[in-house]
Amino acid sequence: MATPGKTYKRLRNIVLAWLTLVVLGGFLLDIPRINILEHTARNLYFHVPMWFTMMAAFFVSAWHSARYLSSLDRVRDTRALEAARVGAIFGILGLVTGIVWARFTWYVGQGIWWNFDPKQTMAAVQLLIYGAYFTLRASVEEPEKRARIAAVYNLFAAACVPFLLYVLPRQMESLHPGAEGNPAFSDITHPIMRVVFYAAVIGFIGLFWVLYTQRVRLAALNERADDIPES
Amino acid sequence: MTIHAIQEADTTYGATPYDSVWTSQEVPVQQPDALERTMLAQDKLYVVLAVVLIIWIGLAAFIYRTDRRIDRLERKLDARISDEDVSP
Repeated sequence: MATPGKTYKRLRNIVLAWLTLVVLGGFLLDIPRINILEHTARNLYFHVPMWFTMMAAFFVSAWHSARYLSSLDRVRDTRALEAARVGAIFGILGLVTGIVWARFTWYVGQGIWWNFDPKQTMAAVQLLIYGAYFTLRASVEEPEKRARIAAVYNLFAAACVPFLLYVLPRQMESLHPGAEGNPAFSDITHPIMRVVFYAAVIGFIGLFWVLYTQRVRLAALNERADDIPES
Repeated sequence: MTIHAIQEADTTYGATPYDSVWTSQEVPVQQPDALERTMLAQDKLYVVLAVVLIIWIGLAAFIYRTDRRIDRLERKLDARISDEDVSP
């Protein structure tokens, strides 16, 4: 690429402006009133995209890990690490926002912060699996070996995602849409809400891309600095 | 924690456990405490505010961490490049 910085800057500005519009639309547009949910239905625009973004990030991470194994290019290892790291941040945010949403919506008057909702629990397990990825990386000293072991483990971690977040929670009763006895998301959601929701998903995935690109650029600079002989 | 008898859920604050995994268990519905009264005001709009703030704080913390790495890189470069080399 001739001017990678230019493309990055343009996309970054679009992402930030886009997300600003999403937040405005998320708060200002009228939505149907539903008992119990009331305004918290707007959390659809903020809580759910966290998970979509996390899954996109883990997919990017797994892709680079697979490419690392076939090319042994260190850049791939860096990209896999940074994508997983930003993805884990979004996962933690999804978990915490879910706790707050449920606490003041369905568990009002009961004081329950954590009810072992299947999807919530599986998402926590998934984050622990990725936590082990970072621990594993920290425990291997030699860069070549670390990159290879981490890449193989990362493929396993990514393979767990569809099972832990889709297959298993849908077999059980849960607060989440698509679970046993609950209608799927697309059947029940108002058209306006769907527009804002998809815009939010695109916006937050864009934000992931911005943060991830920043980290990868920084890591690349760090390696170049390492190549400078110490004076 | 005092356990009150189950009351008929009223439309404002009452809640029934939607999560039917636990319906066999008797969940006492308490009077809303101060935190709940705050969060449930304005048709629960403050719950959305809390969620957006959590995301914002999380992202801000991440930006701080990136910043720390930039600082480290700057110190590393300072250590490796002598002053004559970087002067414009």
